[in-house]
Amino acid sequence: MAKKYGMIIDLHRCVGCGACDLACKSENNTPVGIDWASHKIETYGVFPKVTYTHTPTLCNHCEDAPCVRVCPTHAMHKTEEGFVVHDPSICIGCKSCMLADPYGVIFFNKTDAFSDYVSDDSSIVKGGTFSKKELSDKAKAPFPNFNAARGAGGYEAIRRKGTVEKCTFCNHRVAQGLSPACVVACPADARIFGDLNDEKSQIATTLKAHKPTVLLPEKGTNPKVFYIRSYN
Amino acid sequence: MSINRRDFLKTTAGTAAVASTLSIFPEVVEAKTGELKYEGEAGKWVSTTCQGCTSWCPIQGLVVDGKVIKVRGNPNSPSGGRICPRPHLALQQVYDPDRVKTPLKRTNPKKGRGIDPKFVPISWDEAINTIADKIMELIKAGETHKYMLMRGRYTNLNEIMYNTFPKLIGSPNNISHSALCAESEKFGRYYTEGFWNYADFDLDNTRYILGWGADWVASNRQTPWFMHQFGKVKDRAKITTIDPRLSATAAKSHRWLPVIPGEDGALAIAIAHVILSEGKWNKSFVGDFADKVNYFIPEKEVPTEIELDGKVIPVVFEEKHTHGVIAWWNLELKDRTPEWAEKLTGISAKEIREVAREFAEAGSRAISWVTPGTAMQPRGAYASLAAHALNGLVGSVDAVGGILQGNSVPSVAAPDVKPYLSEEIAKALKNKKIDQRGTKGFPAINQKSGGGVVTSRVAQAMMDKNPYDIKVAIGYWNNWVFSTNGANVWEKAMETLPFFAHVTTNIAEMTMYADIVLPAKMHLFERFGFVTNKQNLHGYMSIHQPLVKPYGDAKTDETEVPFLLAQALAKKGYDAPLRYFQDNFKDPQSGKIPETSEEFDLFAVKYFTKAIWSGESNEKGDTINSWEELLDKGVWKTKKFKPGKKIDNFKTETKKFEFYSETLKKVMIEHAEKNKITVDEAFEHANYTCKGEVSFVPHYEPAVRHGDEATYPFIFSEHRSRLNREGRSQNSPWYYTTKNVDPGDENEKDVTKINPLDGKKLGLKNGDKIRISSIQGSLESEVKLWEGTRPGVVIKCYGQGHWAYGRVGSEVFGSKPRGGNNNQILIHEYERLSGTNPRAGGFARVKIEKI
Repeated sequence: MAKKYGMIIDLHRCVGCGACDLACKSENNTPVGIDWASHKIETYGVFPKVTYTHTPTLCNHCEDAPCVRVCPTHAMHKTEEGFVVHDPSICIGCKSCMLADPYGVIFFNKTDAFSDYVSDDSSIVKGGTFSKKELSDKAKAPFPNFNAARGAGGYEAIRRKGTVEKCTFCNHRVAQGLSPACVVACPADARIFGDLNDEKSQIATTLKAHKPTVLLPEKGTNPKVFYIRSYN
Repeated sequence: MSINRRDFLKTTAGTAAVASTLSIFPEVVEAKTGELKYEGEAGKWVSTTCQGCTSWCPIQGLVVDGKVIKVRGNPNSPSGGRICPRPHLALQQVYDPDRVKTPLKRTNPKKGRGIDPKFVPISWDEAINTIADKIMELIKAGETHKYMLMRGRYTNLNEIMYNTFPKLIGSPNNISHSALCAESEKFGRYYTEGFWNYADFDLDNTRYILGWGADWVASNRQTPWFMHQFGKVKDRAKITTIDPRLSATAAKSHRWLPVIPGEDGALAIAIAHVILSEGKWNKSFVGDFADKVNYFIPEKEVPTEIELDGKVIPVVFEEKHTHGVIAWWNLELKDRTPEWAEKLTGISAKEIREVAREFAEAGSRAISWVTPGTAMQPRGAYASLAAHALNGLVGSVDAVGGILQGNSVPSVAAPDVKPYLSEEIAKALKNKKIDQRGTKGFPAINQKSGGGVVTSRVAQAMMDKNPYDIKVAIGYWNNWVFSTNGANVWEKAMETLPFFAHVTTNIAEMTMYADIVLPAKMHLFERFGFVTNKQNLHGYMSIHQPLVKPYGDAKTDETEVPFLLAQALAKKGYDAPLRYFQDNFKDPQSGKIPETSEEFDLFAVKYFTKAIWSGESNEKGDTINSWEELLDKGVWKTKKFKPGKKIDNFKTETKKFEFYSETLKKVMIEHAEKNKITVDEAFEHANYTCKGEVSFVPHYEPAVRHGDEATYPFIFSEHRSRLNREGRSQNSPWYYTTKNVDPGDENEKDVTKINPLDGKKLGLKNGDKIRISSIQGSLESEVKLWEGTRPGVVIKCYGQGHWAYGRVGSEVFGSKPRGGNNNQILIHEYERLSGTNPRAGGFARVKIEKI
C-alpha cells in the first residue's frame, strides 16, 4: 500500500516552548516573517481561574486541500505520499492558495529573502565589527547558517520573490528516512510522525488509543495533523 | 538580487543529498556523529556544550563546509539528548553581524551612558601590550591588589583567567557573578542539610511537586530534561506552582497559587504549621512523640510535661533524622496558621490547608522545589530555608521520589601557584577583597563569614574606594551594567574605573565603558572548555570544542587571553605567570610546552579533563579512554545517584537535617565576633528583623518593599524568558519572532503585563505606551492586559532593554534601548546573608504613567 504520512501533536506533552518553530527555521531557511511551524496561544478565564493554551500549528497536509484545488498552475500539488507541496518555479504568485487556505499557513515572499546579506555592508564600528555582507561573503552562502540540504530534489533552498511557500512536512528529510525537523527538535517528544497506512506504526496505534481532534473540522479538509489530549 | 545568486542556491542545494541515516533515536532519527554526508560536501555532528542558561546541556552542532547550520541534543547526554529553544537561537549568536571581529581601543576618554567610545580597530599585539603595561605599572608601584578580574558566565577553564592569573599577578580580586545567580537558594539547603549547591529531583518516582517560583519547563536548570519529563510526571504526580505570574509551568500545573511577591516565606511557614498541627509529618523520618499523641496544637507551645491521672509525665519527642522540630514549632510555627498567612500571601486559608495536606500525604515522594523566584528576594534566605525545610517534614530529603544531592564528577585541581609568588606578591594577596564580604552589612555566609561573593557591592566599593581603589580591571563574559539591579549604579561605577578591558563577543553595555575591547570566541561553537553539572540523577562533564573557526580574530577569554598577557608581562620583566603556565600545562599527551595561546588553550583543557579521558574514572560511570574519544562523545556521566546514603550523615553540625540550624548559629556567632557585634545586631545589619533563638529556625520575615504605597501603588515582579540566553540572545531576530512562547508576552515587543482590573482603574488598554517608575529609576514599555497577572502586581520579563549589544537588541545602538531593562527600576538591593542581588520578591514598588 502507498504510504500516507501524518503527524500527531500530543498537547499534554507539549510544553509550548517553540523549539519546533525555531528548528523549522533552521531547517528550511525561512526568513523573518515566514514561519512554516508556528503556534496559536489563548488565555481565557478571570484571575485566578485562568487557563492558557498553546497549540502548535503547521500545514495540515489535508486530504482534500483547498489550496491545491484552487492553484491555477498546479504549483501547489499533492505527492503520492500525501504531502501537499509547492513548486516555486511555476508559481505565479496569485495568492489564490492563501485565500483558500483556512489555516493561514501559506506565506507570500514579498521581498528577496536574505537580500540584506547581499547588500548590507554597514557595521557598528568600521573595521571592528562585522556587517551582514561580510559574513555571507566569508561563509560563501546566502547567510552563514544556510542549510543547503533544504534544496534536495531541485526545490529552491530559499524561495524566490513573488512566490508562496509553506511547510512540506520536511519531505526532503522524509525521503532520506528522517523525521521532520520539528519532530526531532521537540524536547517533550510531543510529536509523532509516520505512515498512517501502516497499522503497526506508532502514529496509527496512538490515533486508535486516543480521540484525536483536528483544526477546523467543519471545513471538511480532512487534515493529517492530529491533536491528542489537552494542553492543561 | 541577481539571477546569479539564485543559480548559486540551486547548484549548492540541488546537489545536496543525505547519504547515510543510521538511527540513534528510534523514530526521530538523525545521523550519528560523523555519518551525515552530503554529495560534494561533508557534514558532521560535533559535540559541544550550550551555556545559554544554567542547564549546561551537552549538545551537538551540524558542521557543513566549515559552518554550523543546525543544533540538536547530544545523545550521550544523561538527559537523553534533548534541547530547549535556546541553542537554536545560538546560531544567530555565533553568526551575529554585530560581533566584534578585532581588538578595539577607545579614543574618546569620556565615559558614560550614551557617550560614543569612538572605538577603533587595533592589533592583538597593541591591545595585549596596553593591558600588560597597566599591570606592570601596578607591579612597579606595589599595588597589584588594585587589579580586578570580573567573571560572568564561565567554563571550568576559569581556573586560568579567574582563579590563578589574578593570584599570579598579586591580586585577591577575582570577582565572580555568583551573587547575581542564586546563592540565597543554596542558603536554604546549606543551613538545613549542609549542601551548598543545586538539588536534583527523582521525577520518575515523585508523587507531588510543590514548585516555588519553579518554571521548570521554561528556565533555570535541566530545562530540556524537565520539558521532556513534565507530561509523564503530570500523569502520576500532582503539580502545584507558586508564582505571582501564570508561568509556562503554572499554566500546565494542577494548581496555581498566585502568591503576593515576597510572601513565599509566609506560605511555606503556614504549610509547615498545617503539616505539624494535623499530624501529617513523616514519622519515620522526623520521629514522633513517645506517647503518639500530637502536642502540636495551634497557638500552644509543646509542653515539656503533662499531668495525667495525677502523675507528671514528661513530653518526649523521639526525633530521628532531623534536629529541632519542637524548637521550630515553639519558636515560630505555633501561631502561623493558614488564616494568618492568607492576609499576607493572598492565598486562601482553605487552599493552603489543601495544599499542605496533599503535599504531606505524598510523604517522602513529595518535593518542595525552591528556585531563585522564592530565594532571590531581599529577605529570601529565610524563604528558601522555610520552603526547603518542608522536605524535612515529609522526609523527601535524599529519598526515592524526593529531592537529592547527586554524584560529583572527578576533577583535576589547578597546580599550586605558591612556588611562583614572590614575597611581595604573596603579601599583596592578603589584602581584603574589594566587595566588602564578611563585613557587618554583607555577611555573605557561604559556609563561613565572607565565604561568598557580593558581586554587586563592587560598584559602590569602587566608587567609595573602600577598602581601596581599583585601577585596572578586566571583565569577561559579563555585562553587569545591564544585568544587576540598580543598573545606574554600575553605570556610574564604570565611569570612575580608570582602566577597563572587556573580553566579549559583542559590544555590550559594559563594553561601552571599556578602554580596550578583546573579541571573544563564542562558547558554544568556537572554543575549548568544559563544565560539570547534574541532570537526571547523573553528574556529568560536558566538553566545548571548536566546531567552526571564528570569522574574526577572536580568542578564548579564559585561556588564550591570560597566556598572551603572561607572554607580554614576561617580555616586560615579570615572568611568573608565563613560567607557571609553561611549567604546568605541558600537553598531557605529547609533553610539549605551550608556546602559543592556541597550544595553551588546548593543553589546559586536556589537563583539567584528564581525570575523565585517561580512563581512570571509568568505574564511576561512562567509559572513555582517550582525549579523542572524549571529543567524539562530548560527555561523560556518573552512574545514577542512589538516594539514602546522606541521611544522618549530612554535613551539618548535628549531621541531621536541621530545622533548628546549629550550623547557621555557629557561623553567625563567628561572623558577629569577627565584626565585634552581637548576633542580633548582625541580623539587623543584614536587614533581617529576627532576634534571639527564632533566628536559627525558618521563620517569617516581612517582605521588603521600596517606595511608599501612595506614590508607587503597584508591586513590580519580573521573570525569565524561555528564550533568554542569559541576556545574550537579544540581538537574535528569532528571539523577537518567537517571544510569545512566554505566556502573556507578545512577539516583537517588550510588554508589561497588567491585570485587566488594574488596567481599567488606570484607563489603560492593550498597546498603550507607559512609563514605569520606582525610586531607583524608570523605563518605557507597552501595556498588555493579561489575566495571568495578579491584581496589584505588574509583571515584566527580563532581558530586553539593551542600549548596546547590537543593532537588533537596541533601537539605536549606543543610545536608545529596544524595550526596557528591568534593572533600571529594580532597586540596588541585597540579600545580605548570602550576598546576593535580589530580582524577585517584589521589592520595587512602581507607579505607571501613560505616555
